[in-house]
Amino acid sequence: MSSVRLSDLRRTTSFRLALLFLALFGAASLTLFGFLYWQTAGYLQSGTDEWLARELAGLVAASPSQLIEHLNEHAARDPEGDRPFALFDAAGHGVAGKVANLPTPSPSDRPFEFRLNRRGEAVTFRGLAHRLPSGDIVLVSQNVHEMHEFRELLIGAMAWGGLLVLIMGLAGAAVIGAGSVRRIDEVARAIERIVNGNLAERLPTRGTAGDLDRLVDVVNGMLDDIERLMHEVKGVSDGIAHDLRTPLTRLLAGLERAGRRAASVDEFAAAVDEAIVETKAVLSTFGAMLRISEVEDGARRTGFTTLDLAAIAADVRDFYEPLAEGKGVSFSLKDESGGSAKMAGDPSLLFEAIGNLVDNAIKFTPSGGRVTLRIIRANENLGVIVTDTGPGIPAEEREAVLRRFYRAERSRHTPGSGLGLSLVAAVARLHGLDLVIEDAKPGCRVTLRREGASSWPTLAAAVTQDTLPAALGR
Amino acid sequence: MARVLVVEDDVQTAAEIAAALGDSGFDVDCAHTGREGLLKAGADTYEAIVLDRMLPGGVDGLTVLSTLRTVGVEAPVLILSALSAVDERVRGLRAGGDDYLTKPFEFLELTARIEVLVRRQAIPRRDTMLHVGDLEIDLLSREVRRAGRLVELLPREYHLLEYLMRQPNQVVTRTMLFEEVWGYHYDERTNVIDVHIGKLRRKLDEGGLPTLIYTVRSSGYVLRAAE
Repeated sequence: MSSVRLSDLRRTTSFRLALLFLALFGAASLTLFGFLYWQTAGYLQSGTDEWLARELAGLVAASPSQLIEHLNEHAARDPEGDRPFALFDAAGHGVAGKVANLPTPSPSDRPFEFRLNRRGEAVTFRGLAHRLPSGDIVLVSQNVHEMHEFRELLIGAMAWGGLLVLIMGLAGAAVIGAGSVRRIDEVARAIERIVNGNLAERLPTRGTAGDLDRLVDVVNGMLDDIERLMHEVKGVSDGIAHDLRTPLTRLLAGLERAGRRAASVDEFAAAVDEAIVETKAVLSTFGAMLRISEVEDGARRTGFTTLDLAAIAADVRDFYEPLAEGKGVSFSLKDESGGSAKMAGDPSLLFEAIGNLVDNAIKFTPSGGRVTLRIIRANENLGVIVTDTGPGIPAEEREAVLRRFYRAERSRHTPGSGLGLSLVAAVARLHGLDLVIEDAKPGCRVTLRREGASSWPTLAAAVTQDTLPAALGR
Repeated sequence: MARVLVVEDDVQTAAEIAAALGDSGFDVDCAHTGREGLLKAGADTYEAIVLDRMLPGGVDGLTVLSTLRTVGVEAPVLILSALSAVDERVRGLRAGGDDYLTKPFEFLELTARIEVLVRRQAIPRRDTMLHVGDLEIDLLSREVRRAGRLVELLPREYHLLEYLMRQPNQVVTRTMLFEEVWGYHYDERTNVIDVHIGKLRRKLDEGGLPTLIYTVRSSGYVLRAAE
């Protein structure tokens, strides 16, 4: 991936962050090194200064004759002249010792530095001078060349170390920045492919749960939703194509055939009747589609009134009872709402939705089976459960049956537009309910309830009560 | 002959409605704008008015309706609308409409509803007994007799029969029965109403009596005396 350009690098967040940390780290190191240097150099210098003061005090305390003697003794012990002591007259000319002339600045009882020639080289000495009562000046000094060299070494080491840190830091920042540029490039290329129509493509993750990964996960989740919606839209268009084109084709074919061949009024009348049947089928599908969009629009909530869900369920029972009876299916209603089943809603829509579930349940339950309609309650929330002892809906089809126009394979031969459950789901959503399809073992249980709002205390108990006799009874 | 005014902006639709109502024995006038509709309805007396909900030219269906009610025109009004939302229906009925039909509709549905609206005015509801052929029901005791024999009916079946007996010899569609007897408003497409009618028919015709409830063109029923 040599495609990372310097200008790109400079703009990346990680590179900038790395630089910022480098600067902060540099400042901290500089402070630390400065402190170390100040401490070390100060320690060395104060050691020298203490020694100078001690030696000077010894010399000052001696008498003039002893002083000369001390100086000569010292000179003998120091043939290299690294610690030269000297005595000067008041004018500053050397009287004894290894220093010819009094170096400036003049004596002030404070340590000072001066240079002397040693083997043709200027060498730095640190000295301390004192004016004796006689006017003569005594000087003690020490070669501090090594100390200075040590200090320079220290500074050099710090400078090189700093440079090394700088280079490594810059390189690290560049590597990290380049990594993030590459990462962004990968993601950008994936997005381009998606924009170009490959909706199955997902943004690459590294599985490191890093911040970019978290972002990518969110975007991938969004892409899943978009893909699902696109498939749904496509499913709807396919459904429209199938459910509207098929009857329209038959309509056209029938009319053309009548135009070509029909000879008598009766034949024409028969063709017209066929055409009317086909047109009604088209209108029915069309109407169902419009109703779903209308319900999904949510605009119908303006038509909400306070209704009694138990009363609606009783009406549904009344309405579908003969259908179940005719099929030899037992159909019962259980009101477990505990008296009050009042809620805000649209009675016609709820009747239609519950009726649709019951109708389906009766349709798919074989003779001798049972369909149960229950009104349940958890705190303030009401729900509806329709249980049957039919073949049930396989787990993998449960989501699909909610899609528009979806017809389970086994239901292809039964009448219906494939829009029923979509409408139920839309009505449920309008009332803040979720449609849940579960296995009732055997059979199918469809529940309309407010998901997650609260627990449904009656549910678990009711399920076992409900399924056991059903299982044993069959 | 009952006179009906059709206020519908689409000329062809208006002509079709007029033809369908004409076939059912109505004398039909057409108006194509809200203004024209107001003028005709105000100047003449009609037994019923078919009114399109959305009319061009500033005076829409609901305006026509509320104006007519304000000036004292009491003719029953059936509103036609492309809007099927429940609140649209409620709004239409609240503005003074007597019935509401969503486009597209079947003409059988339209004519059946208009007939009910027209007859509703003509027949006083004070009768306590209704008769059709050898079938009679007592509206007070809710007793049903066929050829003198008492017929046991469930409350819902009784309600269904009473509605049919109030419109004898007239087509009543499934949707009308569903709205009237169950009180919910949506286009019920299943055959459940047929099952209810079937049960009612069996109870009434018990003992090999000729049927009184006839199915009409797969979308409605008519109750009439057996010949």
